[in-house]
Amino acid sequence: MPLVARISKRSTGLLHAAFALILTLVFTTAQAQPADQALYDKGEKLFKGNCGSCHKPDKDLTGPALKGSRARWEGKGDIYAWIKNSSEYLKTGNAYANDLFNQWNKSPMTAQAVTDEEIDAILYYADNYTPPAPKGGAVAEAPPTGPTDAGPAWPWFLVLGLLFLVVAMSLSGVRKGLSQAVAQAEGRQPEPELGTMGTIRQWAWNNKAFASIIGLFVVVFIVLKLWDAAWVIGVYGGDEVEHYKPEQPILFNHTLHAGKVEAGNLAIDCQYCHSSVEKSKHAGIPSTNICMNCHTAVEEGRSPEGTKEIAKIYAAVGWDPATKKYTGNEEPVKWVKVHNLPDHAYFNHAQHVAVGKIECQECHGPVEEKMDVAEQWAPLTMGWCIDCHNQKEVKMAGNGYYDETMKRLHDSKLGERELKNYLEDDKITVKELGGWECAKCHY
Amino acid sequence: MSSTKRYWTDLGDLHQAPEVIKGRENEFPTDLAIDQVLGDRNFQGASTGRRDFLKFLGFSLGAATLAACETPVIRSIPYVNKPEDITPGVANWYASTFYDGEDFASILVKTREGRPIHIKGNTRFGINHNPKVGKGVVNARINSSVLSLYDNARLKAPMTKGAAATWADADTAIRTQLAATAQSGKRIVVLTNTIISPSTKRAVEALKATYPTVEHVQYDTISYSGITGANLKSFGKRVMPSYDLTKADVIVSVDADFLGSWGSATEHSWQYSNRRDPDGAMNKHFQFEARMSLTGANADVRVPMKQSELPLAVISLHDHIAKKVGGTPVGGSNATVDAAMSAAADALVAAKGRSVVLCGSNNEGVQVLVNSINSMLGNYGSTIDLAGHTWFKQGDDAAVAQLVKDMNAGAVGALLIAGVNPAYSLANAAEFKAGLGKVGLSVSFSGYADETASLCTWTCPDHHYLESWNDYQPKVGQYALAQPAIRHLFDTRQWQESLLRWSGSEQSYHDFIRDTWTANAVGMDWHQALHDGVFTAAAMGALPEPAAPLAADLNAAVAQAKAASTGAGEWELVLYTTEAIGNGQHANNPWLQEMPDPLTKLTWDNCVCMAPADITRLGLNMYLGEQAPASLVTVKAGNNEITLPAVAAPGQKPGTIAIALGYGRGANGEKVGLAACVTDHEGNFNPVGRNAYPMVNWAGGAQHYEVLNVTITPTGATYPVGLTQTHMTHMDRHSVVKETSVATYKGSDKRAYNHPHELAVHEDVNGDGAINAQDKKPVLEFDLWDEHPVEGVGHRWGLSIDLNSCTGCGACVTACNSENNIPVVGKDEVRRSRDMHWLRIDRYFSSDMTKERAKAEDMGKIEMYLDMEVPSENPKVVFMPVMCQHCNHAPCETVCPVAATTHSNEGLNQMTYNRCIGTRYCANNCPYKVRRFNWFNYVTEQFGEVNPAWDDLGRMVLNPDVTVRARGVIEKCSMCVQSIQAGKLQAKKEGRPVKDGDIETACSAACGTGAIVFGDLNDKGSKVRGLADSDRSYHMLEEIGVQPNVNYLVKVRNLPTGQAGVAEEAAHHA
Repeated sequence: MPLVARISKRSTGLLHAAFALILTLVFTTAQAQPADQALYDKGEKLFKGNCGSCHKPDKDLTGPALKGSRARWEGKGDIYAWIKNSSEYLKTGNAYANDLFNQWNKSPMTAQAVTDEEIDAILYYADNYTPPAPKGGAVAEAPPTGPTDAGPAWPWFLVLGLLFLVVAMSLSGVRKGLSQAVAQAEGRQPEPELGTMGTIRQWAWNNKAFASIIGLFVVVFIVLKLWDAAWVIGVYGGDEVEHYKPEQPILFNHTLHAGKVEAGNLAIDCQYCHSSVEKSKHAGIPSTNICMNCHTAVEEGRSPEGTKEIAKIYAAVGWDPATKKYTGNEEPVKWVKVHNLPDHAYFNHAQHVAVGKIECQECHGPVEEKMDVAEQWAPLTMGWCIDCHNQKEVKMAGNGYYDETMKRLHDSKLGERELKNYLEDDKITVKELGGWECAKCHY
Repeated sequence: MSSTKRYWTDLGDLHQAPEVIKGRENEFPTDLAIDQVLGDRNFQGASTGRRDFLKFLGFSLGAATLAACETPVIRSIPYVNKPEDITPGVANWYASTFYDGEDFASILVKTREGRPIHIKGNTRFGINHNPKVGKGVVNARINSSVLSLYDNARLKAPMTKGAAATWADADTAIRTQLAATAQSGKRIVVLTNTIISPSTKRAVEALKATYPTVEHVQYDTISYSGITGANLKSFGKRVMPSYDLTKADVIVSVDADFLGSWGSATEHSWQYSNRRDPDGAMNKHFQFEARMSLTGANADVRVPMKQSELPLAVISLHDHIAKKVGGTPVGGSNATVDAAMSAAADALVAAKGRSVVLCGSNNEGVQVLVNSINSMLGNYGSTIDLAGHTWFKQGDDAAVAQLVKDMNAGAVGALLIAGVNPAYSLANAAEFKAGLGKVGLSVSFSGYADETASLCTWTCPDHHYLESWNDYQPKVGQYALAQPAIRHLFDTRQWQESLLRWSGSEQSYHDFIRDTWTANAVGMDWHQALHDGVFTAAAMGALPEPAAPLAADLNAAVAQAKAASTGAGEWELVLYTTEAIGNGQHANNPWLQEMPDPLTKLTWDNCVCMAPADITRLGLNMYLGEQAPASLVTVKAGNNEITLPAVAAPGQKPGTIAIALGYGRGANGEKVGLAACVTDHEGNFNPVGRNAYPMVNWAGGAQHYEVLNVTITPTGATYPVGLTQTHMTHMDRHSVVKETSVATYKGSDKRAYNHPHELAVHEDVNGDGAINAQDKKPVLEFDLWDEHPVEGVGHRWGLSIDLNSCTGCGACVTACNSENNIPVVGKDEVRRSRDMHWLRIDRYFSSDMTKERAKAEDMGKIEMYLDMEVPSENPKVVFMPVMCQHCNHAPCETVCPVAATTHSNEGLNQMTYNRCIGTRYCANNCPYKVRRFNWFNYVTEQFGEVNPAWDDLGRMVLNPDVTVRARGVIEKCSMCVQSIQAGKLQAKKEGRPVKDGDIETACSAACGTGAIVFGDLNDKGSKVRGLADSDRSYHMLEEIGVQPNVNYLVKVRNLPTGQAGVAEEAAHHA
């Protein structure tokens, strides 16, 4: 990475952090406090555990907003009985309950095993709920770096430079033509024709020191650029390739979705979304309907930016959050592929995950810990592949396929000999069973 | 830069002078014709100086570096709503049915991410399913049909008089005109191929209900009205019977190519092959014919005869049998094949009730006689099933002839044409075209603007069959369903649905089919039927009455038959259809055009097949090759003439010539599809081959595929042809092909017919105390190389190819094309032996010359070998599929300087394209010549006309698991390593060993006759292991010691000892 970019990256990061800190401080102090904090906290816990998937304190979701529900029910019926078992309560013929039921698409709420005190706590929490203030850049991702669609800007400078050169040369040609015309008109002997190169050479000869410095700069510049370019195209498996982190159409946050609960994340299993990883060569980028499994309910992100990104899912899948209906206007999300193998290399996820029992993180890195935006973690070079094949022990235990492999080895003299070779390091590696053979990955 | 300008100026001066002159006036030309110039072939002829070259080099290096600097951004777009049953990267297979009026097969369609990419026979059900090997027979046309789905020449919307239209317009206009026509009382004719779909028939009925003057005429491009008409006469039923060749101990076929193009060939192939196992009860097959057909090539006894003798031969057979079984002779004949017929009759009578006589003649009289023969032999009810007859070939030539007359008389008000192309395939196409002009409303349902559609007022393109729903009733009580494997790509509509629209119904054809089956209450489980692709149920509609007793006037039949043998001239012409192109409806399929004809090995052309003796007699070119073009001859039959290259066809009866139908599509510039026409070097647009349909003989109101009096005139000109095999015989190399008779096979030791190769050694092997020539060791014991650890270690994949079950049909070749993304290279490249097929079928003719005969006649070696090159007049034929033999001691591997071809633990010879630098040492060192070199980038415009992978649409057919190879690398059979890997992975995921039969290569899966068997040689219980250990197993060129993983099984003909041809005697001495 060029030095300038590195500095700018670091400084932007610092700037973001500082900004976030300030914002967090400001908004944390500004938050209103409920009167009975203990009851509020109890209510919050119960709400999140029991109600949160269908209700919001202050907004309608699958069910109505809970804020003010006690007041709404006042004098119309028994809210406790209603919450504990709505279907039963409907049978009492309570008019308000039946109205509510009809109003909410006749979907009964599942019976809740909560006590009256707990209901009190929940409703207290709902009534006193204030939406958290937007947290600013604290969660919003740092803008992704690395090559994007636009590519680096320097080739454009080069083109621009070349253009200038051409213009300058043509202008000098014009100047020369004019001066010659003038000379001719004045009857003077025209200056000897030197040609462009000749002029440059003459000029350089006259300004040796300056020319050499310029020349040195040009050479150094070109060498540096080529060096940089070589890193970019992966000749050295450089930083930018290994950590290829293109800008995605939706700023999906892997850490938030897959990270540990203790860190405040959701700990969704990788395979919940990448569901074909054990079935297919592709792990699969989840179709948008997978997102909607949760995001029909989760409409808001943890920051305004997050909410905007969620809105992008709705746009893609054609979901109107206001009416909670699909509009039919679908527009697939055009993700940028992060892990690119050359076309002549065949890789199968199922082989590695289902059979080889390799954890996702072994190749994809700590996605759930520090990948706000997906990035390439391993070099994905052939050397990297076969290094692993050379070391990894084949997970044979309990797999009938390998039982047969072992049986055949034991059954033949040649096999016994081979097996002895295999077991020199006390394990059978992928390589020993043919994992270094060309046609395992190239066909 | 100045030099670049000079080039453009020069070329401009040369080719586009006015533009350039104009351009000179313009100081800043707006567009530079870079593409045009670089695309110009003459550009290659321009001279480039050394300095210019270096400048270009430097510039392009710089440009390439710049271009390479940007990391490409690759998009990955998942589904919005993923269909439940699609997992990206995992193939889905759907059961469906192929039927095009010519072939019928229950098939499985492989789709990847919703794209059909491969077709094979149904592995469990259908009339083409071979229960013995658990595979379905498909021919090359069927498994290549997936490619035509992605043909860019397909019509993408309805058309009227050459202009695009909408369906709403079409419906309105056609409905109005149909109503007016019906009002006026004029006939509305629906002209189709044979319809075996109950729902389609119902849809036609629905149209009839709306417009009372609707009439349905069925037209078989290749007519069978002779046999169906004869059955009407003999049994009162106008049907094509169902044959069960598994029950036939003796088969006598008189010009019926039942393994290739006659009748229900996909069914006959497996039935026949199952009886070719020499360890079981082997059938005996006699073939009498004029040209060497695929069936004739497989026969035990093949008797060439002139086409004019066919009726006489049948009469002769009839009388021989009549004499033997106490029937009534019909007057005998003096056929020259009388003696051979007598022998055939003996065999038939000996197998009374377990035999069958088939005849390919379309002469009703001849077929009545054949019925009488089969009746005398008691074959009805055993090998021939009339009650459970097929519904194929219902076409009626007389009705078609009448239709053309009526059209010209102005009696037909509307003509709806589906599935046929009469403007191309009728002999009186000119008359038909004239008549079409007089029909008020002509509608074609063709998917292409073909010969007929381009003349119709409306073209309402039908879906491709892989986009269609349909139901079929191939035989009484047997049904099949076709389901779409992809949503229709273009704005097309299934033609049955069009009929429904015009009948005023808004129902979809799918619902209409379901209604058919609900209404008939045959107890069908729709979902199960859809899953299986077939179902059996009670016969639909009226049950066919049991076969009536044989009732026909044999004397009239004899008279009618004999009429077909009179008027024979010096030359007789036989018209036939090839295994690849068939009746011509799939002529636009490049895979089929490039598939070599099984016998002539000709690609991209039809030809005049002539006996080698006739070629010599006329002084034509006998030996054809890259630099040896064929001689052009003009064949004249009546007023029709056709000029085609003459190709020597051993086995052809001298005095008879044969020309394939189905070629010459799009001769008037119709856009009939990708490969039916190609542009040659000079930029001329040429149809592939020439149309021979005008020569079809319509004598007596039926189509006859022979003309008994034609003239041949050599034009003196020559014509380059693309032949893939220019040598005819194996020149006594019996380590290539081994052949024996069933008597020898059963009666002798293995050494008599499958002698192992041995080398003399300098030690006393036999223990007789002396070291001499008798001390030999098998070749297998000699090794130049270190042993590969393949025996007993993991898998060792192998193929076993039974030369007895292989009929030579070529379905494996096209299946391999489809599975392995094999480029199509076009005729000119084939001619230069640059065809890319990974799997070829070598066809060997036997020769009269043997080493013994040469010795007896005191012949010199050179003279002997020259004579061995000459095939016999009536040679024996062996088909030998050859792919990479995956040698355990592969000569190719040792010569590769970059280790691009290596050996795997599992016995595979691996080819790594990204390592290959294209030295071609491996190809030179390969004893089997199976390695192919990519001379060009075939996915460029240069090959755009022939190679389907060139356009974005055609590219959809590519198998995403197999690399598309680049220019400059060697490629070859990988033994479908992608399927092996997939099968192993499946087993590993399920935690079980790989089961025999789990993994199939494309060729083995396509081989419904069971000739190609794939499996794990290290699996002791596998079928392939058993075959490899059998007495018939041998390795090709065993003596060179390369130890292939492909083995062949000796061909056994059902003949008495010593009659298997020269191969057998030679095998003793090999």
